[in-house]
Amino acid sequence: MKAFRNILPPLIPFVAITAAMEFLVRGGFIRSYLLPAPSAVFLAIWENWGELAQAMLKTSASAMAGFALSTFTGIAAAVLLSSSRWVQKAFYPYAVFFQTVPVIAIAPLLVIWFGYGMQTVIASAFVVSIFPVIANTLSGILSTDPALRDLFRLYGATPAMTLFKLRFPAALPQIFTGLRVAAGLAVIGAIVGEFIGGGGLGSVVDVARTQQRVDKVFAAVLLASLLGLALFGLINLISGITLRRWHASEQSL
Amino acid sequence: MADTAVNAAVRPGVALRLEGVRRVFEDSLHNQFVVIAGMDLRIEAGEFLAVLGPSGCGKSTLLRMIARLDQPNSGRIVTESEKGGREPEGDRAQTAFVFQDAHLLPWRNVLDNAALPLELMGVAKPERREKALAALGQVNLLEAVDRYPAQLSGGMRMRVSLARALVTEPRLLLLDEPFAALDEITRFHLDVQLRELWRSRRMTVIFVTHSISEAAFLANRAVVLSRRGGAIKLDRIIELPEERTNELRADPRLGQEMKLLLGAIEE
Amino acid sequence: MLRRAFLRVAPALALLAACSKSAKIRLALNWKPEPEFGGFYAAPFDKHGLDVEILPGGAGTPTVQMVGAGSAEFGIVEADELLLARSKGNPVVGLFTVYQHSPLGIMVHAERNLTSIGDVLKEGTLAVQQGLPYVRLLEKQYGFQHVRVVPSPGGDLTAFLADPKFAQQVFITSEPLAARRKGVAVKVFPVSDIGYDPYTNVLATSDETLRKSPEMVKSMVAAAREGWRVYLDDPKATNEKMHQMNPSMDAETFAEVAEAQKALIEDDETRKNGLGAMTKARWETLIGQLKDLGYIPMAIPAEECFRAL
Repeated sequence: MKAFRNILPPLIPFVAITAAMEFLVRGGFIRSYLLPAPSAVFLAIWENWGELAQAMLKTSASAMAGFALSTFTGIAAAVLLSSSRWVQKAFYPYAVFFQTVPVIAIAPLLVIWFGYGMQTVIASAFVVSIFPVIANTLSGILSTDPALRDLFRLYGATPAMTLFKLRFPAALPQIFTGLRVAAGLAVIGAIVGEFIGGGGLGSVVDVARTQQRVDKVFAAVLLASLLGLALFGLINLISGITLRRWHASEQSL
Repeated sequence: MADTAVNAAVRPGVALRLEGVRRVFEDSLHNQFVVIAGMDLRIEAGEFLAVLGPSGCGKSTLLRMIARLDQPNSGRIVTESEKGGREPEGDRAQTAFVFQDAHLLPWRNVLDNAALPLELMGVAKPERREKALAALGQVNLLEAVDRYPAQLSGGMRMRVSLARALVTEPRLLLLDEPFAALDEITRFHLDVQLRELWRSRRMTVIFVTHSISEAAFLANRAVVLSRRGGAIKLDRIIELPEERTNELRADPRLGQEMKLLLGAIEE
Repeated sequence: MLRRAFLRVAPALALLAACSKSAKIRLALNWKPEPEFGGFYAAPFDKHGLDVEILPGGAGTPTVQMVGAGSAEFGIVEADELLLARSKGNPVVGLFTVYQHSPLGIMVHAERNLTSIGDVLKEGTLAVQQGLPYVRLLEKQYGFQHVRVVPSPGGDLTAFLADPKFAQQVFITSEPLAARRKGVAVKVFPVSDIGYDPYTNVLATSDETLRKSPEMVKSMVAAAREGWRVYLDDPKATNEKMHQMNPSMDAETFAEVAEAQKALIEDDETRKNGLGAMTKARWETLIGQLKDLGYIPMAIPAEECFRAL
């Protein structure tokens, strides 16, 4: 019953919007070659399920690999950055670079460096998703309760002890926030990487667009969104389990 | 006295000497604020000292300097051993601090929170556990050892914080308005509990508060600080019985002490 | 007071309203300003009473959809794109073609000594726009089992230069010249070799615009035709204008490409029937090919797809 209560609210707008779109396209208010009717999109998913499923698997693999890379690298980088103000001032601007660089511009560069294939797609997913991990982890580590830091100091804790027993666990809620954002971005990064490097849902979108098959484009886009949603949900689940006992914000999820 | 004889086996408290302690803060615009102008104070071993004063009078700063979390700009704070000389500063177990909020680690249960100081000092697990349980027993929290801070009331959390402070058997216990955020009934109970803990262990306690009734109820001696600059306006031995129970709350002698303290604050 | 002020202003407003009716005519290009559009930049639109704004494009500019949606009155499209659009309920109609024959080709390193397009597919990497009909035709004819197919990098030659076994979709008039300038000997196999030869860079408009403003459309085509004559005879001034807008191609390349593309634009056909002329036969062939490849569900009457104006 609780699951039903959680699914129903977001489902209602979805059904309403889908119905509205169907009506607008069927009624000729919106031209079908600009925006496909939802029924056409679902039909496209049905008819091309083999191709789409395989593409979806490929994109998921790349996105998750890129996301895993940015999780580990991002957290490690943030821990390093937190070690001293000088290190932070020297290197944080370069981390910001990952946030601001338009991935469409560097994806061709990634192909040149890594070649055509999944490694480029993973690299693209990584580049796009790493910054929120670094930013949120660093923020979490640096915003530790000063009283607790005093307490650790009082009992002669080494910087390593303070990092692993206090600052890092205290930062977990913010780390998860960063991971939630990064999950969706990893999917986007993978798709953009696929535009340039081939394969997966990105390739399906690119080819279908050239063929003016708007229904298939939307089908692939819809599946990509579902992928992002699934990854987001997974992070939420892990976050909920990890933080269950101690963080107030987790109780409401 | 009978009580002290029973507890001779427990390590007695340290004595402290503050000589010309001066603390100045500077903000980002290089404005200087003299928080403590130059304080001389001697605290006897095993004393229960209350430090009273309005907000911003420097009492928290004073406490942090005594805990060596902060350094005076000039002057010094000397810890004396019973023999009268300087205590070596290496022994970390000496000092414990209780903050205004419990400040527990939310991802650890009550037992692991209480054991934290021992963990940081490298004490082995079985010994940590034993001592933490003992400390939690002293504050009557044994039934909650497996619970997490989010599941505890404010009063219970403060008791865990107290247990954590006691777990290293400190010779100097510093408390910075620890019960200020709690309701009155819980505060009354914790006051009594703290006083009893002190009576059984006889560590030196410095209790910062801006509650006149609490200062009078808990302490053997109270100093009142001025509004600015940390000057001592009153330094008084509280004339109340050794054993303090909540019945004392209605005793007119408590009221008299409070009146004296209030007078010093207000002038 | 207010009434009098309004009466004074009203005629000016009315004039303004009328002016905005004969508003800018937008021509959407499907790539950056380059010699392939030279004739349009040289066209004397003013002389024909047309206020035309040329909208440069880039990778993936959806000119066919823009014309259909009304965000441009005219667009440059490919003949196969146009047929696809019509089959999907977007009635776009062709008016004038720049290239009589498709400039699409596959470029390979000359050192590979390949003799036919089929050889290209025997090994290495092939970078193409996989959604295009000719790719499907290529796959049907030769199969892709032995070659790795990757997305076309647009005009970027980096991957091609780095890998001797890299083959790339190009415009015959463009990338091969750039490659030669970089000192690499190349060979290009025109896609038309496999029998796929759609009209390319077709000036198109929507059925609706044609119906509503036939005179304006006619003037537009006439101006375009004159512009291409001017450009073919002397491209220098127009090249300079385009180079300002698109500095990524240098002045020499502009000149080279303008020269190289002449044979595709002007041939016996156009000398007989005029620049930009199209035939029903060519459209019918293309329609048949797209139907065979499964790109369109059924044959479209060729007369609906283009007009000779």
